[in-house]
Amino acid sequence: MLSTDSSHSCGRADQLRDYVFDELPAGERAGIEKHLRECNDCALELDQLRMTTAALRVIPDQEIPQRIAFVSDKVFEPNWFARFWNSGARLGFASACILAVALVASAWHVADRPQQPATETKTIVQTASVSQAQIDQAVEKAVARVRTEDAAIIQAAMRESRQKAEREYNNQMVALSESFEMLRKKSTYNDASLFRRDEGLGQ
Amino acid sequence: MILRAVEDTDLITRVRRGDVEAYNLLVSRWEKRVFNYLLRITGSPDDALDLSQDSFLKAYQNIAKLDDPARFGPWLYRIAHNEAYSTFRKRRPETALEDENGTVERRTAPSFSLDLSLAVTAALDRLSPEQREAVVLKVYEGFKFEEMAEVTGCPVSTVKSRLYTALDLLKAELSPVNTRPNPRG
Repeated sequence: MLSTDSSHSCGRADQLRDYVFDELPAGERAGIEKHLRECNDCALELDQLRMTTAALRVIPDQEIPQRIAFVSDKVFEPNWFARFWNSGARLGFASACILAVALVASAWHVADRPQQPATETKTIVQTASVSQAQIDQAVEKAVARVRTEDAAIIQAAMRESRQKAEREYNNQMVALSESFEMLRKKSTYNDASLFRRDEGLGQ
Repeated sequence: MILRAVEDTDLITRVRRGDVEAYNLLVSRWEKRVFNYLLRITGSPDDALDLSQDSFLKAYQNIAKLDDPARFGPWLYRIAHNEAYSTFRKRRPETALEDENGTVERRTAPSFSLDLSLAVTAALDRLSPEQREAVVLKVYEGFKFEEMAEVTGCPVSTVKSRLYTALDLLKAELSPVNTRPNPRG
């Protein structure tokens, strides 16, 4: 393939170059290193290759004279579909699509099933119409019953409330009369004490 | 707290979502290398800067087409290579970049003062553009042969042939300089 060097007769020129650039397969490295210890021509060639590449690297990298920077511009921005397609929402969108397809397929499968006989459907419809009249009647009865019960409950509550108010009024009257009685007794006691003190002072 | 360097692949993911600042960070990591690659194959700082800007713009516009974000480097150099050679082809009828021997005329003088630097620059000038690019990609940019083939669009065998022929020429050109005795020694 490459016979680019004829400076020595070992025929390992390309191997030596691959070795210098660290491109030699690992299995061949030990072989060429052993050969280099034995062959002065190859050792000299290796030195020259290394000196040449070292000389090339003398030229330093130059600083870029002007930094490169981009600003956000609608013209250069990827469109909404590209941004969406390259975003994490892609997985969710794909999942939603799969789910939608599954639902459509399931609905199609259900719709594809054989329908019930027409006679059975008719019977169901007739039954439903008779039941509707009964339901209406039952609802009226139930409403009337509930109203009657509500009226009874309200009357009972009012009666109980009146009785409770009367009881509370009587209790308050009793308590008030007891308070008056106690006040009267206390007043009598104070008058007697005052009288006794006056008598003591007079003595 | 664990700090982790933001990889190029992370930045590319953000760029694909429309994050321009992530792309600016990516550019800042690569602009000097790309500029020097283009400088060494064109010989003109102005051309190298223009081509660098064009290359990064094209890379941004086509980043969705990058199959493997881990291969961003060779992919970017491939764009830079195409931009440079496209410019060469456009200019060739008007301004000959190559003389009769196929070597590129440097339109700016080398800025290195050392003898060895001048000798290396002169030796590189005498290579063909393809040989010089092979040397730049291998010696200066450190690409593997497979990556060089990806950048140049040539088979690995062609890339190796160009590189090793160029090395023989450079070795012959630079050997007097390399073996020159040290005056201080």
